[in-house]
Amino acid sequence: MLNKIDKSSALFAAGAVVFFWIGGLLTTLAPPLLDESWAKPAPGLKDYATLAKGGDVHAQMVLKGRAIYVREGCWYCHTQQTRTIEADTIRSGWRDVRSPVSTPDEFVYDQPHMFGTRRVGPDLSRVGGKYDRQWHVAHFRDPRSLVPGSVMPPFPWIANDPAELDAIVAYMQSLGRAKDWRPGHDYEE
Amino acid sequence: MSTESPGVARHEDKSAFGFLIVASVFFLISGLVALIIAAKLHLPTLLGEVSWLTYGRMRPLHTNGMLFGWLLAADMGLCFYLVPRLCGVRLWSEKLGLATLGLWTFIILGAVVTLSMGINQGLEYAELPLWLDVLVTVAWVLFAVNIFATVAVRRYQQMYVSLWYILASILWTAFVYIVGNFATHFTSGVNQANLNWFYVHNAVGLIFTPLGLGIGYYFIPKAAETPLYSHRLSMIGFWSLAFVYVWTGAHHMLHGPISQWLQTVAILFSVMLMIPVWSLVWNFFATMKGQWHQLKDNVPIKFLMTGTIFYLLTCFQGPMHSLRTVNAIVSKTDWIVGHAHMAVLGAFSFFAIGGAYYALPRMLGTRLHSQSLANASFWLWLVGGLSFFVSLWIGGFLQGLQWNDATIPFIDTVKFMAPFWGVRLMGGLLMFTGILLFFWNVLITYMGRAERPEPAV
Ligand code: HEC
Repeated sequence: MLNKIDKSSALFAAGAVVFFWIGGLLTTLAPPLLDESWAKPAPGLKDYATLAKGGDVHAQMVLKGRAIYVREGCWYCHTQQTRTIEADTIRSGWRDVRSPVSTPDEFVYDQPHMFGTRRVGPDLSRVGGKYDRQWHVAHFRDPRSLVPGSVMPPFPWIANDPAELDAIVAYMQSLGRAKDWRPGHDYEE
Repeated sequence: MSTESPGVARHEDKSAFGFLIVASVFFLISGLVALIIAAKLHLPTLLGEVSWLTYGRMRPLHTNGMLFGWLLAADMGLCFYLVPRLCGVRLWSEKLGLATLGLWTFIILGAVVTLSMGINQGLEYAELPLWLDVLVTVAWVLFAVNIFATVAVRRYQQMYVSLWYILASILWTAFVYIVGNFATHFTSGVNQANLNWFYVHNAVGLIFTPLGLGIGYYFIPKAAETPLYSHRLSMIGFWSLAFVYVWTGAHHMLHGPISQWLQTVAILFSVMLMIPVWSLVWNFFATMKGQWHQLKDNVPIKFLMTGTIFYLLTCFQGPMHSLRTVNAIVSKTDWIVGHAHMAVLGAFSFFAIGGAYYALPRMLGTRLHSQSLANASFWLWLVGGLSFFVSLWIGGFLQGLQWNDATIPFIDTVKFMAPFWGVRLMGGLLMFTGILLFFWNVLITYMGRAERPEPAV
């Protein structure tokens, strides 16, 4: 058998593709069918795309901010997932309160997903409400003025464009809101 | 441009040569971009007022440039060189090959423009806009037609293992690319992330790995002028790679918001990857048995065997940091960056450069301009690469430990990385100098090809 495959390119190609697709199908198509939580939105999750289409101005801003986040490659330096690791829940948390871990139902409408792979900067999955608008504005203009030693680049072309600045701040403040967890002090209010 | 393989076929090698040259130019450019973004981690305001020179726009330029502009193009060039030789016939169509090259160059230039403008689909390695994805698919089909048609009319019935890897990788790539660049448009959230990591991981595992190994399987015995140790072992390696690799994508989201059982499956198969890796490394090393003295002055062999060692190290590291306990420390740190660079820049680029040093002069019917320059480029690459990889592993590992101690402010863990990033930047500079030497050597070889005819076979 192996000898035959050795000599026939057609048999060989068929074998290689079949072998590949066993794992290929079981790891791509099967999981969303087996785990419903991937597609079921969390109770507090807002579907900004539908809201924006319905004329919701705030939702439109959030989506515009998200597009800026994608465009400027913020996601190469920031993740958006509080993992099932204790330190993650403390770092994403607020003072003594730990943040809940991220679950699939919080990301159902994310397109493209922004989970990220690399943390040059801190995780942003629960950053909504952590700082006030003023902080973000100053931070985008010059991160080092607020956090000495930061390696985040300044974004003058965003900071100097009021519409873009409002949008990216609105997006930051929307992050991690599907779970109502931030206690007492919320800088957005 | 001609080489005589006595009594078999006269190879024109126009497409092979063209792809290697275009690949080298993109290597140089992507290397420069790499140095700039590495420097930005020390000086975030460097070129900071200009939107298209910001970190977040140059990084995808760097990754796409290295993966598709350099490595994939170089691999395609080497395939155009070795497939006809293994088949005992000429390349099916040099015209088609050159058309593919034209399209590929257009795609990469298109990528440079769109990525700089901030046109980005937001998915890693799949940043390019849809119209470029379509062109990539077309180019890949053109490449596939040329290779498959060459294999179909081959003179030697038995297919050497390099052909297996190359044919399979052409087929796998088609599927992997479609999942990563088209299927993702119809999904969102965790489902999309799962497809994205399937693509990212298999871009390395089922595109660059089989192409690189096919190249290694061809050039190691050729350059050392010694037969391959075992055909059977290469078959075990091939079929286990075909089966095992594709399952592992979800290990990019360990501890993340994705089903536990899928994480466990990914871990199990990541560990099983040891089988194809060991069988390959064993085969390459056994092939070199009795030939190790060649390491002293055979530059292609130096690159190829060092690439093999980097491959072994990368593929030992991979299963290790797929284990949950290790992953909790190193995930999202620079350790992973070091790992990815050792795979692409260490293992597979070393294979490609070794192959290029061997094949380029032969395509031109001449000898390499300077062995000592080539040797110098090897040492620059080795020292540069090692300091690059090792500093990121150590720094990343320690940073991961610091992150797990939540009493340490995040910014302190950023400042902590500066010396490690500094060594990485120096290593990058050495490697960049190595690219320059390679490029210069090839250029002079090309210009002086008439004065240095190949010694008679
Ligand atoms: C080169 C990597 C890099 C890029 C690109 C980057 N950041 Fe950052 N970011 C950092 C680092 C490092 C910090 C931590 C120091 C600081 O607060 O400035 C940070 C901090 C932050 C914080 C504060 C988080 C907290 O919990 O304190 C926010 C919000 C933020 N970044 C948003 C963004 C946005 C939005 C973008 C894109 C427009 C972006 N970052 C691009 C590296 C980066």
